[in-house]
Amino acid sequence: MKLFAKYNRVNLTVTIIIFLVGSCVFYFLMQYIFIQQIDEALGNEKEEIITYARKYGKLPEIVNTEDQYIDYLNIPGPATPTFKNTYVQYARAKEWSRQVQFGMAVSNNTFTIVVSKPLEENESLLQVVVAITIGMIALILLAGYLINRAVLTRLWQPFYNTISFIRGYDIEEKAHPAFPKTDIDEFDLLNENIQEMTSRVQADFQSLKEFTGNAAHEMQTPLSVIRTRLELILQNEALLQKNADQVNDIENAVRKLSKLYQSLLLLTKIEHSQFPMADLVKIDEVMQEKLDEILDIISSKGLHLEFIQYQPVTVRFHAYLAEIVVGNLLNNAVRYNTTDGWIGISLKSGQLSISNTSELEEIKEENLFKRFFRDGNTTEDGNGLGLAIVKRICDAAGYRLEYSFKDGRHTFTLLF
Amino acid sequence: MKILIVEDERSLNNSMVEYLTSQGYLCESVLNYRDALQKIDLYDYDCIILDIMLPGGSGLDLLKELRTERKLDGVIIISAKNSLDDKLAGLKLGADDYLTKPFHLAELSMRISAIVRRKNSLAGNLVKFEEIIVDTDNSEVSINDKPVALTKTEYKFLLYFIINKNKVLTKNTLAEYLWGDNMDLVEDFDFMYAHIKNLRKKLQQAGCGDYLHSIYGTGYKFSYR
Repeated sequence: MKLFAKYNRVNLTVTIIIFLVGSCVFYFLMQYIFIQQIDEALGNEKEEIITYARKYGKLPEIVNTEDQYIDYLNIPGPATPTFKNTYVQYARAKEWSRQVQFGMAVSNNTFTIVVSKPLEENESLLQVVVAITIGMIALILLAGYLINRAVLTRLWQPFYNTISFIRGYDIEEKAHPAFPKTDIDEFDLLNENIQEMTSRVQADFQSLKEFTGNAAHEMQTPLSVIRTRLELILQNEALLQKNADQVNDIENAVRKLSKLYQSLLLLTKIEHSQFPMADLVKIDEVMQEKLDEILDIISSKGLHLEFIQYQPVTVRFHAYLAEIVVGNLLNNAVRYNTTDGWIGISLKSGQLSISNTSELEEIKEENLFKRFFRDGNTTEDGNGLGLAIVKRICDAAGYRLEYSFKDGRHTFTLLF
Repeated sequence: MKILIVEDERSLNNSMVEYLTSQGYLCESVLNYRDALQKIDLYDYDCIILDIMLPGGSGLDLLKELRTERKLDGVIIISAKNSLDDKLAGLKLGADDYLTKPFHLAELSMRISAIVRRKNSLAGNLVKFEEIIVDTDNSEVSINDKPVALTKTEYKFLLYFIINKNKVLTKNTLAEYLWGDNMDLVEDFDFMYAHIKNLRKKLQQAGCGDYLHSIYGTGYKFSYR
């Protein structure tokens, strides 16, 4: 529920209750005053009749009008005048009325004198009060709705702007968010804090990235020391004879570590947008070069290479990154293939697809480009950065990378 | 053959000196920019191995200095930066080659040999070992003056073996030399052995001595023994 709707609900409920109670009080108050007035009028009438009777020794002649009815009953009445509400037949109609009765002796006869005045005006007062109440409540509801529509949407606009900024926020963005000043303190406070928070997060993120880059870079020299020292140890054949396996393992570890850091370094550089995408790259030539490099390996695995389509394609890219993209996709197609498997390459205008058979199941979408993710069933070497790098490069170049799995075949499609 | 090694990491520097000295190169080594500048001013080298990040300055500045003085020393840049820009800048300033750390000493030796051959073209770019002559200009091999037909891979192996003669070269080193980063794709080295087996057979058929020795299942060594 929107804040205003919630606020409005409470506000309206209270307002309506106040109005209802107020209307009731108002009605009864009005009625009381009215009755007082009418009683006063009836009292005046009574005084007039008494004065007349004392002066002339007889009751005045009855002249009944539309809003007054006087009757003399030849029975003894109460000594003190009693007031009550009752229906009375007037000249024209029967009406709800205020009536006073009092007893009086005139020329040795006792009379009960009844004077009535209609309460018609009182009824119309009630109607007016009810009408005003309903009208006011309707007006409040309508005003609430209109305010919500017209004013509040506009009032909350800065808030929605901020929300849409947060939704679209990418931590990689280097620009600091700039919110226009609103004339509402709460929103300014919110924006200020978001601005501060993003700056802080960006700074942290930046230093983290720099750290990765620097660490990867600084790691290469000690690795060189290990590798070259190991090569020298190797030359001692007596030592080698005893430690052949260990030496092999160390060599492999050094190579993996070096590769891993190079990959991380590359990722950092791509994220720093250090590669301008300004070269015109012939993808078919890049593919051919890469295939030439690994043709030995492909045939040693007994893989069947099929060119589904192969047209010359030139795209705007970074030459080195294009090599990495093509290389990584092709390497994966070879690495995770089955023995005597199949690799399908399709290259046409605006699109490069590489498919391969594999024993691995479909890769889940959330894992597809996750760094260091490796399928639990894979026994192949690899650092789990290959696809993450490809994805990063494609993002940086503005190209789309799609994955599909059908009939045991994994397909990666690059849309230029 | 005189080589200057400019590298601030002492143990890496020592490794290179040790390996290259054992290959018959005359090595001098310095650890910082100032000493390097002094050496470069005073002497001529066949090849200079240059680290880019040095205490006191950049290796690229040394390269600039070298080229403005019109010295023709061959230069190999070795850098931890696998950055294309650095590589391009280095090559543009007149470096002959670029190696990214961590490298194999055998690979370094290979690159030095190529540069030295280019500088001293008197020998006609020939690499010799006993009765084997490799013409690196035309990628041709002859044994006892008779040409031997080798595949591209066999040729690459042979050249690598001869240049790193008397050294144990592990399977890893060989695989990385041949396939670079793609060597991860190779599940086992069986098919590399196939290439080496063929090479050995072809050499023997041409009447060549048996110089290629398998070392404890770890690697190979090319030596007269």
